[in-house]
Amino acid sequence: MIKTILNLFGSVGNKSLKFIANIGHFFIFCFSAISWIFRPPWYFKKILLQVIDIGYFSLPVVGLTTFFSGMVLALQTYNGFTEFNSESTVARVVLTSITRELGPVLTGLMVAGRIGAKMAAEIATMKVTEQIDALGTLGTRPMQYLIAPKIIASVICLPFLVFVGNTIGILGGYTIAIFKLDFNPDLYLFATLDNLQWIDLVQGSVKAATFGLIISMVSCYFGFNASKGAEGVGYATTVSVVVSSVMILTSTYIITALFFG
Amino acid sequence: MKKRKIKNIILDVKDLKKTFGNNIILNNINFNLLEGESLAIIGASGSGKSVLLKNIIGLLEPDTGSIKINSTEMVNLPRRDKENLLLKLGITFQHGALFDSLKIWENIIFKIQNQQKISKIDGRKLALSIIKRLSLKPEILDLFPSEISGGMQKRVAIARAICGNPKILLFDEPTSGLDPVTGSVIDKLIITAVKTIGASAITITHDMASVSRIADKVILIDKKTISWSGTPKEMLVSKNLKIKEFIKSTNPKLFS
Ligand SMILES: Nc1ncnc2c1ncn2[C@@H]1O[C@H](COP(=O)(O)OP(=O)(O)O)[C@@H](O)[C@H]1O
Ligand SMILES: [Mg+2]
Repeated sequence: MIKTILNLFGSVGNKSLKFIANIGHFFIFCFSAISWIFRPPWYFKKILLQVIDIGYFSLPVVGLTTFFSGMVLALQTYNGFTEFNSESTVARVVLTSITRELGPVLTGLMVAGRIGAKMAAEIATMKVTEQIDALGTLGTRPMQYLIAPKIIASVICLPFLVFVGNTIGILGGYTIAIFKLDFNPDLYLFATLDNLQWIDLVQGSVKAATFGLIISMVSCYFGFNASKGAEGVGYATTVSVVVSSVMILTSTYIITALFFG
Repeated sequence: MKKRKIKNIILDVKDLKKTFGNNIILNNINFNLLEGESLAIIGASGSGKSVLLKNIIGLLEPDTGSIKINSTEMVNLPRRDKENLLLKLGITFQHGALFDSLKIWENIIFKIQNQQKISKIDGRKLALSIIKRLSLKPEILDLFPSEISGGMQKRVAIARAICGNPKILLFDEPTSGLDPVTGSVIDKLIITAVKTIGASAITITHDMASVSRIADKVILIDKKTISWSGTPKEMLVSKNLKIKEFIKSTNPKLFS
């Protein structure tokens, strides 16, 4: 009996130690990756390709999710606040929710699913097929050639995507407000602009850049440390999407608390 | 090949030991490679041949021991010096390791392109001149690795390794999975590189016919260490059971 309990504690302790070691490993990886960003040579072509992939090809999925979220927000605010269902209330709730929270988080999660999975799979495949080993023997540093362009592009693109997503989300709210709730378009638009606050936009951009960093780092880390075989690639892909999503939701709380707490 | 005057030692491995966790893979490995010499490493699958190669090129750190390339100690060498040293080597990996996202010609001149500016036209010309030596068709230059056969990929990997005429060649199973005719093209290429350019080569292989064609010296890795070494001729008449078994199972004809 006592032995079983001790074993249980032992295995929990062992797992915890491994977990802590992995976190340490992850931060060393991040530190090294970031340090390579600032050292020449810079692979501009690789950065540009990543920017197109992340910034341009994510637009449809980001636009679609934020548009529908804006619509849902307008509808629910209207139903929930029947006493004050004025243009001003709905416009303000939609605007604030989207710029502060939903725009960045939805964009972050969508990009984590789309780009994070792709980055992890690409790097894990390269690791498993010895391409990363080959890079190091052919006059490049894998960190600098493979990882740094992905981090740079993610951190640049996420704020842009969030800006577009916010605009489309607000447009979604506007669509419902005008065509379903029969609000006055001018009054609604005025209320939206009137409530627009710099701090919300700054906060949203900080979140976006942070998510870009999280997605690229986590995906590259799990890709880079993939174990041999096809399962290694699959595991790296899945786990990087899960971990970046959880980290996005955790960090959005922390950033909100820092700005408004 | 006949022995020339006193030859320089290009690679010197001493008392190398490599473990993964509690698992000893290689122990007490000692050998050297002379200038202009071709060495074949044989051994069963999983005996640690690829691990040995990766220790030599610094992708894995040995637990103990010393690896000297041109008298420079590779173990614990600062990163920048290691990078410079690696540029002098031509390496192929067991699984080809071509870059999926680059075209064949870009793969071949990858190292050169990282060292100096080279125009697209010159780059393609250089790549073309190399693949001709490997009986590959010019049409493949603009394809991606996934669009050519496994045997071609293998040869492109060799083309990438010999681009720039490195003085030290390290090939991990360059002929495995190839038909005998293509295999002998690669053997000839290794022989030419060693004879005409004066390069030194290490080739990991299972192909006994290939060993007798290309090698000046053979080492067998078995039970975590070098259990036999000698010339290909000595190998064919060796009484060593492992060697006998190896020759019999991979190429019984040679035995006659
Ligand atoms: N990175 C690694 N981590 C743990 N074990 C490894 C690693 N690389 C190789 N091994 C183990 O080392 C042994 C030798 O592998 P390898 O050198 O690839 O054999 P081979 O002689 O067929 O080339 C195998 O048992 C393999 O599982
Ligand atoms: Mg091997």
